[in-house]
Amino acid sequence: MTSMVGLFLVLAVLIIIPAADYVFAAGDEPGEYVDRRVLIWNLFFRMMTVAFTVGAVVSGTMIWLVWRFRESHPKATPTPYEKEGVW
Amino acid sequence: MVLELQKPRPIWQIMFSTHHTDVGLLYLIMSLGFLFLGGALALAIRAELFLPGAQFIGDAMTFNRMFTVHGTTLIFLFLLPFASAVGNYFVPIMVRYKDMAYPKLNAIAFWMIPPAGALIWLGFADFTWYATPPYSIISAPGPAADMWIFGLKILGISSILGAINFIVTILKCKHPDMSIGQVPLLAWSFLSSSLIVLVAIPTFAAALLMLLTDRLGVSGFFNPAMGGDPIAYAHLFWFTFHPEVYVLVIPAIGMMYEIIPRFSRKPIFSYNSGVFAFVLLSVVSFSSWAHHMYATGMSFTEKTVFMVGTLAAVPASAMHVFNFIATMWNGRIKFATPMMWAVGGIALFFSAGAGGVVNSAMPLDFSTHDTYWVVGHFHLFVMGTIAFGSIGYLYYMFPYVTGRMYNEKLGVIHFILSFIGTILVFFTQHILGLYGMPRRIFDYPPIPEWIAMNQIATVGAMIIGVSMAIFLANIIYSSGKGKIANTDDPFGLGGKYYYPFEQKNPHH
Repeated sequence: MTSMVGLFLVLAVLIIIPAADYVFAAGDEPGEYVDRRVLIWNLFFRMMTVAFTVGAVVSGTMIWLVWRFRESHPKATPTPYEKEGVW
Repeated sequence: MVLELQKPRPIWQIMFSTHHTDVGLLYLIMSLGFLFLGGALALAIRAELFLPGAQFIGDAMTFNRMFTVHGTTLIFLFLLPFASAVGNYFVPIMVRYKDMAYPKLNAIAFWMIPPAGALIWLGFADFTWYATPPYSIISAPGPAADMWIFGLKILGISSILGAINFIVTILKCKHPDMSIGQVPLLAWSFLSSSLIVLVAIPTFAAALLMLLTDRLGVSGFFNPAMGGDPIAYAHLFWFTFHPEVYVLVIPAIGMMYEIIPRFSRKPIFSYNSGVFAFVLLSVVSFSSWAHHMYATGMSFTEKTVFMVGTLAAVPASAMHVFNFIATMWNGRIKFATPMMWAVGGIALFFSAGAGGVVNSAMPLDFSTHDTYWVVGHFHLFVMGTIAFGSIGYLYYMFPYVTGRMYNEKLGVIHFILSFIGTILVFFTQHILGLYGMPRRIFDYPPIPEWIAMNQIATVGAMIIGVSMAIFLANIIYSSGKGKIANTDDPFGLGGKYYYPFEQKNPHH
């Protein structure tokens, strides 16, 4: 449990700190409209690249999981909990 | 075993009962009724947007009324009451108590909803589910607007009463042998969401009163002509309704926590991380409301705080997703209908969350603010995650409620069509938003890309409509004439369920 919490804290820091950096793309001062739009769209595509990469990994894992651990898979075996009848 | 429909009783016995399964059944039937009503409005909205120009709705005011009632219905009269249905049915059984803590209060909380629904539907207000001031104060036509305000007021009181009941039932009425660390995760989800309701709803209750007195002209809280500030309403509204998103999604995740271990034939991978993530989500739900308002002229510091506060929900949500994946790993998964809905819901939850990160990052939010991106994002959450989890759980609880099995093939067809339709509608709406189409518009210029994507979204909505018609036919037919279920193991999984269904709470 402790290790999991630690892992997720690390992940949280990895996600939040770079994201906090993005806010500097939009200041409150007037002017620089065109530059800001370019910067914003650049950030958008960078974030989308990250999102699609992570999305592909997670979705790919789920698709493989669903295919591999379905009960009709040739290598499917009863889980240890089924023998006890309680899970 | 709780078999309401297998042993028919006069309808008045169920209607005037205070037993938790009877009240749960009433919640269930009413919420499904409103699902189909709200869904019909969605189909009409999508049909209208199939092509630019007025199609059949006639005028923008009617269109505004339709999407206002559509949103209000599906959030307050379908999703929330459906969660209450599940909670009423299972929370007392899970904590091994004879009923909810306050059965009469429970029945009162339910019976407040139909009049509130009637007020909303008979009024048919036009100011969006956000009740946009100053329009809602100055020129929204009455009595529709006033009826909506009173309807929401009643629904808020009902939610608070329900939340108090869940909290007391779980914390004070659980069996003495059961520690809080043994309470099933579904019950934990109701505890977390009920605590959010208690903190969040009173703020909106106050805002509604202020809105009403502003409409009556006796105050000017949100009326610029009287020195008021509509942005203050935005703060009060979103302080309640961003956490409200979590009030909806947390029980849906709790339902997935019931389905996924059962059908994977394994215990949940980490109970503690599930509890931790529920509590964390409850807390961070209050740190993100102002990300809806980046475009209102907030200071840079405020925006930064709320951006980071919003992103804090990511680790908690990811903990749930990884918990589900780790539970399925090395399992022997039976893909019956409830499991398909749960897995589909997780996949779409991830996609919806990724879109939410874009909304919360303030520079990107400016590009997507008030566009169809936002419509696609929150619909992907409410339909793709919350409704998917809820419908999956409906199939899961069906044999326990009716004593009969639904038609499995129709259940699978329902899932496949809904999954395809959801992707077609809401992923397309994201792209439509990036192309700049604003939300809440009756008509749009004939830009070829906009037309094409609106048509794809409308076709997707019609596919969902067909799937819901199949769903309706399946549950009505199966509840009366379906195959008699083996109520000890209706899905043929083997093993026992860890909450004691055999301990039927006697009716009173």
